Amino acid sequence: MSELETQVLIIGGGVLGTAIARELSRYKVDVTLVEKEVDFGWGSTKANMCIVCQGGDALEFRKEYHRSRLVWESIPLTEPLCRQLAVPFKRIGELTIFKDNEGMAKYQKLKTRAESLGITTHQFIDRDTLRQMEPNVTKEAIGALYDPMIAITDPVRLTMALAENARQNGVNILTGTEVLDISSGVDEFEVQTSQGSIKSKFIVNAAGMFVDKVAAMANADDFVVFPIKGYVGILDKKVGGLVEHEIHARPEAPGESNIITPTVYGNLIIGTPMKLARRNDYSTTRQMAEIGLRNAQKLVPDISEGDIINSFAGFLMFRNWELGWHECVVSPSRSVPRFISVSIGYPGVSAAPATGKKAVKLLTQEGLKLEENPNFNPYRKAITDFSKLSDEEKGALIAEDNRYGHVVCRCEMVTEGEVVEAIGRGATTLDGVKFRTRAGMGRCQGGFCSPRVISILARQLGIPEEEVTKKGGESRHLLYQSKQLLGVRE
Amino acid sequence: MNRQNVDVAVIGSGPAGMAAAIRAKQSGAENVVVMERAEQMGGLLHQCVHNGFGLLYFNEDLTGPEYARRFMEKAMDVKVTPLLETMVTKISPEREITAISSKEGYITFTPKSIVLAMGCRERSRGALNIPGTRPAGILTAGTAQRFVNVEGFIPGKKIVILGSGDIGMIMARRLTLEGAEVVAVVEILPYIGGLIRNEVQCLHDFSIPLLLEHTITQIHGEKRIEAVNVARVDNNRDPIGGTERRIECDTLLLSVGLIPENELSSMAGVELDPITGGPIVGEMRQTNVPGIFAGGNVVHVHDLVDNVSWESELAGESAARFAMGAKWAEKGKIALKPGRNIRYIVPQTISGEREITLYLRVSDLEEGVRLKIGDIMSKALRVVKPSEMLKIELPMAQLRKLKQGATEIVVDCEKRGK
Ligand SMILES: Cc1cc2nc3c(=O)[nH]c(=O)nc-3n(C[C@H](O)[C@H](O)[C@H](O)COP(=O)(O)OP(=O)(O)OC[C@H]3O[C@@H](n4cnc5c(N)ncnc54)[C@H](O)[C@@H]3O)c2cc1C
Repeated sequence: MSELETQVLIIGGGVLGTAIARELSRYKVDVTLVEKEVDFGWGSTKANMCIVCQGGDALEFRKEYHRSRLVWESIPLTEPLCRQLAVPFKRIGELTIFKDNEGMAKYQKLKTRAESLGITTHQFIDRDTLRQMEPNVTKEAIGALYDPMIAITDPVRLTMALAENARQNGVNILTGTEVLDISSGVDEFEVQTSQGSIKSKFIVNAAGMFVDKVAAMANADDFVVFPIKGYVGILDKKVGGLVEHEIHARPEAPGESNIITPTVYGNLIIGTPMKLARRNDYSTTRQMAEIGLRNAQKLVPDISEGDIINSFAGFLMFRNWELGWHECVVSPSRSVPRFISVSIGYPGVSAAPATGKKAVKLLTQEGLKLEENPNFNPYRKAITDFSKLSDEEKGALIAEDNRYGHVVCRCEMVTEGEVVEAIGRGATTLDGVKFRTRAGMGRCQGGFCSPRVISILARQLGIPEEEVTKKGGESRHLLYQSKQLLGVRE
Repeated sequence: MNRQNVDVAVIGSGPAGMAAAIRAKQSGAENVVVMERAEQMGGLLHQCVHNGFGLLYFNEDLTGPEYARRFMEKAMDVKVTPLLETMVTKISPEREITAISSKEGYITFTPKSIVLAMGCRERSRGALNIPGTRPAGILTAGTAQRFVNVEGFIPGKKIVILGSGDIGMIMARRLTLEGAEVVAVVEILPYIGGLIRNEVQCLHDFSIPLLLEHTITQIHGEKRIEAVNVARVDNNRDPIGGTERRIECDTLLLSVGLIPENELSSMAGVELDPITGGPIVGEMRQTNVPGIFAGGNVVHVHDLVDNVSWESELAGESAARFAMGAKWAEKGKIALKPGRNIRYIVPQTISGEREITLYLRVSDLEEGVRLKIGDIMSKALRVVKPSEMLKIELPMAQLRKLKQGATEIVVDCEKRGK
């Protein structure tokens, strides 16, 4: 790409950028999405508790806040969206536990307020009912506030599916393309990227953690955000049965939150101490891990350190750290026309469906003309999940293509056929394959499958094995060929 | 192959599986199959191109592939049926096996008996939870071994190894010979995790720095690993403040222990020992599920392949006899109980009616000790270490000393001379 022209340029391929792209693909309009990473959803969307909340979970949500509205408006949209895109979605319900009457009184107040706002699904359950529903939850809990509407999904798969579906419907999607500078002309932006320049009439800035930096490039930075780092730990499937609901308690210290939840794949995840931190420093610390584990143990005492199979950190953008996590940026710039910034600190995944629609509305208000795309196809087919097929289906599939009879990841039971499919859908790296198929996400964390996935990637992409990366750029997995370091030539 | 008529099905064809299958066949089982997900039998032996295999079993110093070859040939001689490129996905408590294979598709059948011989896997980084970033260039020593010895790639040229397990030390030497620089082997304990012979032959002989009582406290690098922080630890294995220093590297290998691979065993309802991570077995290597036997690293992690072969032969023989109608109690009458400084004992139960070999490990390093098997046997030892498995033969002559109706034997490792 040397020079490209487009009508709408979306910057950022996280859950919000791709949701907007997919929403725009309902219309006949020329849209380009650029993402600096080689794949989608590798920013904030990746380190995530995977919860689709309804705004009542953090009951302090207020209607007057923009973000709360987007979360509420997304509630009826998320499940059908996941179904159309064949992305896992499971309604598991949430239990917010309390240990004394005082705690209960607090929730009583929140519940009343939620009801006055039209959220009526919450109910109190007593100690015995809680024991029955969740026998492994701390015995100290005297009851819980139950919200059956809370669901879980896979945010990265959702993002990849949104991107895939948007592309299917005509959006031009460019990965490995970083926006470096933006100059605003009279009726057009000229955008410098790592791959050349792009001219665009409208810009949607959905750069997640860099939303303010990208806005600043166009002098549209009329807002301030604070990068807040959170920690997530993933537990082995062997303890996956300890709880079936998302379990949650009010934090005892600011910046901490007690939460443990099942994932759609049968693991549990714990999170997340939150801390103001240097942007882009994704490192976890011993202290974060300790607090994360300790808080989770306060909810479910049977969890131990040895159950953690992986952990990582991710960033949320807060408008105001002192006040908590209120507000977001989903608005046109006050100074630069046709420039819209879209960022939701928490919970961006839950708010994505309505945010997509909102962004489209803002674009039309800024002057974008839209005409319906009669060929819009809302459906995307899932990559085969071999382990979920019936015995007959498995047999039939192997007979058709014997690559489905070759298991490459034994922890998650992923076959060569699925890896090849994932590469066909755009995976170019080990992590790209991992997020699409789960190969490498199990308890051995890629020990067994990485040699196999590397050779399949090399073969399918037609590159040498040493060129295969974990996550693009300088993340090559194997640096040298045998004998190369000895300087021996054959 | 007629799968409706399988006497013994062995899951896994590493040294354990091959030994079990051969012995099952030799013990009279007619139709013995070995199920293996790779293209050939032998398991991890193929990537272990170093020597030190078979010193006890064959009285010869063989490489891994040579050791494998002997058993592969023997298996073909006695007409064991290998089912290759076949991955077992399920075993039911009724012994129904489900597998998938690229050649035969989806397979289910119920053999008369089963030997579990799936071996073990390496502990991964997650289990350690090292703080820091998540870059490329962190892999287990065994995965690196496969890359170097089978696939023909070198992961990097400046290498730190965390843990001093045998595979880690062997890879330290291997990578040095390949022209890479191993800048440190970092071990949290005051002693190495593997065999002394590997410390001498792989680390000392190549002047590779070994940092005992140290651990990695942080990983640096965004895309590819760039460095690690290393710190001394105190007696509780916690890093000591102020001792931290940064070591530049482009690769981190993990050699922090092996865990028996027992997902299939659990599906079959086999009861596991939380200490060994493997099935609780009786002296015939029977598990609590009738007709399911287990041998080798799936039961407990061995240091030497020779013992794996021996233990699995016992499992193979038992499986053959079961297939031909023999029956045992699932649990022996007498439980072996770990006492002072004993971590585990395999088998966990015995009948007291046949001579047996006990495999055991201590919890802590100790010098000048006496191993006491209840009051029927005792043995003085100069030094015991968690990393070196103890093997004790218990002949009938000693077992006869057991009191009538005894239900347990406590094994203690006592300090001598006090
Ligand atoms: C620990 C944690 C737990 C969370 N749990 C939940 C939860 O349970 N439920 C929920 O709903 N939400 C949760 N969230 C919040 C949620 O993850 C975010 O709100 C959401 O992912 C934000 O999406 P995004 O698209 O704005 O950002 P991102 O996913 O960060 O996407 C932005 C993209 O822009 C790209 N980009 C940046 N700069 C440029 C540039 N110059 N050029 C090109 N591309 C660029 C980035 O590479 C990135 O891919 C959690 C967040 C964290 C940190």
